[in-house]
Amino acid sequence: MRNPLADVPVPLLDDLIDDEYVRSLVVGVVGTLGLLGLFGLLFPGSVAGDLAGIVFSTSTAASTARLAAPIVLAGLGGIFAEKSGVINIGLEGLLIISAFASVYIASVVGIGNAVLGIPAIWIGFMAGIAASTLLAGVFGVVCIEFKADQIIAGLAVWLIALGLAPFMSTVFFGGVNTPNLGANVGWRYSAVMVVVATVASWWALNRTAFGKHLEASGENPKALDTVGVSVSRVRYAGVLLSGVLSGVGGSALALSIGQFVGSGETMVQGKGFIAIVAYLFGNYNPLGTLGAGVLFAGLDATQIRLQQLGYAVPDTLVQTIPYVVVIVVLALVGRTRLPAAAGDHYETEE
Amino acid sequence: MSGGDGGRLPSPVRRVIEPFVDRTVAERVLISIAAILLSIGVGFAIVLVSGRIAQCSTAAWTMPVTGLGFCYDPIEVYVVLFNGALGYPFAVGEPGIFNAAWTPFNLSFGLTLSETTLLIFTGLSVAVAFRAGLFNIGTQGQLVVGALATALTVLAIAPLLPAGPIAGVVVVAVGTLAGAVGGGLWGAIPGALKAYADANEVITTIMLNFVAANVAYVLVLEVFRAEGSSVVATRYVPEHAQFRPWLFPNSSDFALLALLVAVGFIGGLYYVVEHTPFGYDLRTSGVQAAAAEYGGVNAKLTTVRAMTLSGALGGVGGAVWVLMSEGRWIESVPDLGFDGITVSILAGNNPLGVLPAAFLFGLLKGGALEIGFRTDVPTELVGVLRGLIILFVAMPEFFRMAGRYAGLGSDGPGGPKTSGTGSEDGESEASGDAAGSGSDAAAVGGGEADA
Repeated sequence: MRNPLADVPVPLLDDLIDDEYVRSLVVGVVGTLGLLGLFGLLFPGSVAGDLAGIVFSTSTAASTARLAAPIVLAGLGGIFAEKSGVINIGLEGLLIISAFASVYIASVVGIGNAVLGIPAIWIGFMAGIAASTLLAGVFGVVCIEFKADQIIAGLAVWLIALGLAPFMSTVFFGGVNTPNLGANVGWRYSAVMVVVATVASWWALNRTAFGKHLEASGENPKALDTVGVSVSRVRYAGVLLSGVLSGVGGSALALSIGQFVGSGETMVQGKGFIAIVAYLFGNYNPLGTLGAGVLFAGLDATQIRLQQLGYAVPDTLVQTIPYVVVIVVLALVGRTRLPAAAGDHYETEE
Repeated sequence: MSGGDGGRLPSPVRRVIEPFVDRTVAERVLISIAAILLSIGVGFAIVLVSGRIAQCSTAAWTMPVTGLGFCYDPIEVYVVLFNGALGYPFAVGEPGIFNAAWTPFNLSFGLTLSETTLLIFTGLSVAVAFRAGLFNIGTQGQLVVGALATALTVLAIAPLLPAGPIAGVVVVAVGTLAGAVGGGLWGAIPGALKAYADANEVITTIMLNFVAANVAYVLVLEVFRAEGSSVVATRYVPEHAQFRPWLFPNSSDFALLALLVAVGFIGGLYYVVEHTPFGYDLRTSGVQAAAAEYGGVNAKLTTVRAMTLSGALGGVGGAVWVLMSEGRWIESVPDLGFDGITVSILAGNNPLGVLPAAFLFGLLKGGALEIGFRTDVPTELVGVLRGLIILFVAMPEFFRMAGRYAGLGSDGPGGPKTSGTGSEDGESEASGDAAGSGSDAAAVGGGEADA
């Protein structure tokens, strides 16, 4: 199916971005926001006026940054894993485990204390990254060493984290939700981390030898093997990077409010799966992933504000919007091309 | 298992299916059992580690030799889990092996069988999609929608008929059918998206789970909520329109009839998958989609049909949940759909394997309640075990390597640690795991990595 937005000519953009999907994403988002702004200015008292007021407010920007961090960072991690040929569907689990570990370690150290001059909350942050990387490492060993089915193993990573985090929370704090730390990481940190990680990922993927190795590992592992680069090692690097980046995202999510919520689907609430859609939508391009992630997070932030304004729509129904948008987006952009060898085990030839 | 064609197309479908069809049944059973034992071993380590970190006044268990105290007793956990799930048939800490007062028709065993019944439906739901090469993670959502359809249909038609056994049969049948239709339609959505828009069903079904839970919640909250109810729930369906418990206590929420219906579904689905033209289409497109197309199978239509059937089975699960367990639709729908994934994977996606797998999971779920009553260990442990079992079943190569390493020719890890608890659970797989001390080290190693 031809994407209608791909044909809209934009002078400067056409030269900068030659990727059709990314371009249409940018055009679509800017166009929608522009229309909304225009209607908001013309009819300030209407729904469009309220909506424009929400979308262009600083508090919405702050909560968008907060909510975008796990989606974009996990999405970037997913790119590294999938480019290397390992489909990591367990991003959700990595987010959950890092969200819990960051809050747990921060509370063990104690807010106000510091280790080696580093405040407790940042110790917690690093612990979250470590926990996520460790779980990603287990996933990597299972997929690469023991040739497990990647989809099922990824699902297992999610379910293990979904069980383990509330279990540990009950062990340590007596309930599935941890108490609030009483301190948090500001949204500006989240925003900075998202931007830095996006730029760094783009650079690593497009301008370094490692990026080329990743690409080859996913597209043609045999060629990579022939030139003497270990496919397993490149794949481990990809999977571990997905763990590191998801760890940053999960820790940022939990520490930005200073609490882990473990009831139901936990506080992560499917953001790891939305991250997968974000990078598919961005067609494995970090900049596109950033755009898609901010779009999904912006929708979520807008619905939160919309509820506060008292529109007579049940909150739960409004909360459903991002999920429906993900389904619609996936149906429209469905035909993205996976790396040729993604999901296949590669056996080194002697 | 007619997938003998040697095409080497690395299609995602083939990749998912391959580990489950290219292997003998015996090996699959062995791997499933080994995976369960290994999960129990890792769970043992997790309980031990968290028992060391948790705060308590008196140690529940002291490790021999080292004298270290632990807040949780990992052996007791498993004894309570399996023995409790059966209603304590074995006398532990008392003279004699068997508890003389035990009957099969006790409350705990009823709860276990109730879970088993529900898990058979969700397990079959996941299995049938799997056989068509589709990974239906949306059974949970299909169950939620089916359950709501059943509750609303039964509430609507029950007053029209005079209360009585005949009306009860009619109402239950129509209600179950409504659940199947509701779940089937909900399952058809990702099927159609997959077939005609190429949208990955793993993602769409997960998203539809969230949508189903939210939409059903809002519908009940705004429209169908029972008056004066403190929770978001519909009215109770009339007594005569429910599956009634025979022999088992009322509070066990278990109806033997429902279990028989579930077993009937297993047989029926086995026949449909293995011995009908539709089943042939299903299996061939699951094993080799391209070859199936050449053979005249309409792959797109088969995808939609398989997902509809899968959704309908999830919907029937929801219907039984309403008509047997709860008596109404209530917001706190248990994780039956996700457990169905474990059941199906454990069963090798074979309808016949779903029965023992569902029973094992019923034991875990029933035992989790007992753990909550009798020990301090959080019942979320069972959720961890669920994830571990899936992880280990997904890595058959590990068990082959372990088997080769131990030089046994077959795999039997789990180790002496678990055999101590295993001998009390009355399960056949408890015996025969005495060997394999080499792989026991692997079990402990895995535990450290996860804990």
